[in-house]
Amino acid sequence: MNQSVTLSASANPREVPGDLAMWFFILAELLVFGVFFLAYGYARAHDPATFVAGQRQLALGVPTVNTLLLIAGSASVSAAVRAFVLDRQRTARRLLWLTVALGMGFVVLKCGEFAGKFAAGITLSSDTFWMFYLSLTFFHFLHVILGMVIIGAVAVYARDGRYRPGQLAGVETAAAYWHMVDLVWVVLFALVYVAR
Amino acid sequence: MSASFTKSTARNIFYGGAVFFFLLFLALTFDTTQALPKRDNRVNLTEQVARGKNIWETRNCIGCHTLLGEGAYFAPELGNVYQRRGPEFIKAWIKGQPTGAPGRRQMPQFHLTDGELDDLVAFLKYSSEINTNNWPPNIEG
Amino acid sequence: MSTSTTAVLDTPRGVEEHAATRLKYRSQAVAKPYFIAAIGLFFGQIVFGLIMGLQYVIGDFLFPEIPFNVARMVHTNLLIVWLLFGFMGAGYYLIPEESERELHSPKLAIITFWVFLVAGALTIVGYLSVPYATLAKLTHNEILPTMGREFLEQPTITKVGIVLVALSFLYNLSMTVLSGRKTSVSLVMMLGLWGLAIFFLFSFYNPTNLVLDKYFWWYVVHLWVEGVWELIMGAMLAFVLIKVTGVDREVVEKWLYVIIAMTLISGIIGTGHHYYWIGTPGYWQWWGSIFSAIEPIPFFMMTLFSFNMVNRRRREHPNKAAVLWALGTGVMAFLGAGVWGFLHTLAPVNYLTHGTQLTAAHGHMAFYGAYAMVVITMISYTMPKLRGREANSRGAQKLEMVSFWLMTLAMVAITLFLTAAGYVQVSLQRMGTTPMPFMVAQDHAATYYWLREASGVVFFIGLALYIISFFVKGKTDEAAH
Repeated sequence: MNQSVTLSASANPREVPGDLAMWFFILAELLVFGVFFLAYGYARAHDPATFVAGQRQLALGVPTVNTLLLIAGSASVSAAVRAFVLDRQRTARRLLWLTVALGMGFVVLKCGEFAGKFAAGITLSSDTFWMFYLSLTFFHFLHVILGMVIIGAVAVYARDGRYRPGQLAGVETAAAYWHMVDLVWVVLFALVYVAR
Repeated sequence: MSASFTKSTARNIFYGGAVFFFLLFLALTFDTTQALPKRDNRVNLTEQVARGKNIWETRNCIGCHTLLGEGAYFAPELGNVYQRRGPEFIKAWIKGQPTGAPGRRQMPQFHLTDGELDDLVAFLKYSSEINTNNWPPNIEG
Repeated sequence: MSTSTTAVLDTPRGVEEHAATRLKYRSQAVAKPYFIAAIGLFFGQIVFGLIMGLQYVIGDFLFPEIPFNVARMVHTNLLIVWLLFGFMGAGYYLIPEESERELHSPKLAIITFWVFLVAGALTIVGYLSVPYATLAKLTHNEILPTMGREFLEQPTITKVGIVLVALSFLYNLSMTVLSGRKTSVSLVMMLGLWGLAIFFLFSFYNPTNLVLDKYFWWYVVHLWVEGVWELIMGAMLAFVLIKVTGVDREVVEKWLYVIIAMTLISGIIGTGHHYYWIGTPGYWQWWGSIFSAIEPIPFFMMTLFSFNMVNRRRREHPNKAAVLWALGTGVMAFLGAGVWGFLHTLAPVNYLTHGTQLTAAHGHMAFYGAYAMVVITMISYTMPKLRGREANSRGAQKLEMVSFWLMTLAMVAITLFLTAAGYVQVSLQRMGTTPMPFMVAQDHAATYYWLREASGVVFFIGLALYIISFFVKGKTDEAAH
């Protein structure tokens, strides 16, 4: 998934694709998630029983589909960048909207999952596992929405044909953010849903 | 080797990040207000407690003491003083001020009536029954 | 002062300034009384700080004339008011220059100044002359009780006055910005100032429910000092750095955005580090700890930013003192807010240190390093210009730099001694199987309180020298370049 990043149109292979300011943001976000994951590990080590009991109540089907949706979104946004490199504007824009649609699929499924949890009376104050579960997934959920907004904005901007070979910073910036959201989800999925 | 680094992207990230995290903060605030009834001892918020809080405020107690750890650090924590000293001691102490002991920290005389002292004690009792996640670490505050 | 207002500033190499040392826009001059008032109130703040410092060890000093709670209220309220005067003066100076036009209404700015000064003075006189309960009665606190909460002790009528003053100020500046050039510096400054006014409105919300009271009290206090005030600070620092280094505005401004973005990303949810033990849900211990763990980063970036910009300077600005203050702000804000904040921000540590002298240590260095110093940076850069010269004489600058070192090192000492006192307090009163009562533990820290008071005297001497530096005459040596 991260290979798409290196497929950028940058002439100099040592450059990061997209805007450096976004990479500061991505680093900050990864730092926050990283500390959050460490805190999860710390809390889990101190109270494994609560975490195992909570995790038993998590179904794996929907989150697996969600993982595939986000990875597919990453693939389609990288394909969009490549299409821009080849100046295939219409294909590129369609691929961007496809990414947004895949994100929407994630959001809908996730809302269903949240609704089930709320109906079961689970809140941030239920216990430490559910605190982490809700905090991490909701925090990430907001990032998916922000990613969709960013990709959608780029898709709208792209209508005037501003992203051309050699002028792809904007679209690479958006793609980098999406990949970050995807990457965080993969770790989150492994840590919260799978690792028991 | 520097990649593109534009002011407009930096600006968008600033605005986007600020809005994003402020909305998240509001969401957590909403959850907090939902969770508070179980924690903040609101069932014991009587008229007397309200009067006591007003006395607490208009005598600027927070200018020397802490309450749940917030305030000035010149005089003892009062969030748990109800358990530490009990109602009668508290009232006698307030009435007996200032001690006038030379060189020692002094508390002013506030000329509170017996009714006002009861109100204040009711407020301190209510405060002491808030769920503070087990803070302070011990009875000394 | 020369009457011409068409001087050329920002000449690239720091030459020719001796003929070109006046204000770009005449209305910027309204900043001057604001800065003078700020310094005057700063002086008052330190006097009351010394009184309190002594009361920590000689408990009955000035009792019952000035009880500790009154001195503290005066000390903290003067701090807030002088910083507000400083921000306002900075706004009145910076916004016309950035917007490239005269202030919308200089007259309104002067009226606002006097209203704010008189209201502030009356409030302080009220604190000192009558018992607080009498002040509450006189000002009809019962109509809308807002008094008696830390830092928000002002009578409700004063709070209304602050809102009106802020509105008049914001109206004046917003009209200027709207009709002129919009730069990132001015937009960030305005965002910070509007945020300051908006979050202050939470000071009117004072529910009987103590937990809700405290929860939203932090909407004022935390979202001020670890939120919107940092935007104001960033804008002021960026403005001065652009002026004294000659570094390209684009470069300074994009770093400004990155830094304040980091500030808000960490700082907004970082409010949670105040929600550990006040009745709020336990998850704030996680959220607050995680986000405040990254709060030092923007402060560190600010340190790197100021040094980097000064190293890349394209001119030698004759005002060396202003450059020193700007660099000092970067370092001290990081130490005070970043390092000393981090020391006790994680929930398991804060469980032991909450509400002890450690909080006081952090508060002193953070307020001085971030806010007092950035206002002085602005004053140091603008005051010579407001007095008709590019920079002060060599002698005056030398004295100002001595005062910088005295005040800054004294503040470092105050912080270290309060940290030591906090350590004593935590280990004796909060830890162990037989914890000591509060006052017994305090007596064990008395030595540190004495040393803190001595450091305070040094700070006071530094401040006195700083004020004297305004009156040192002598030739400006900019012709020597």
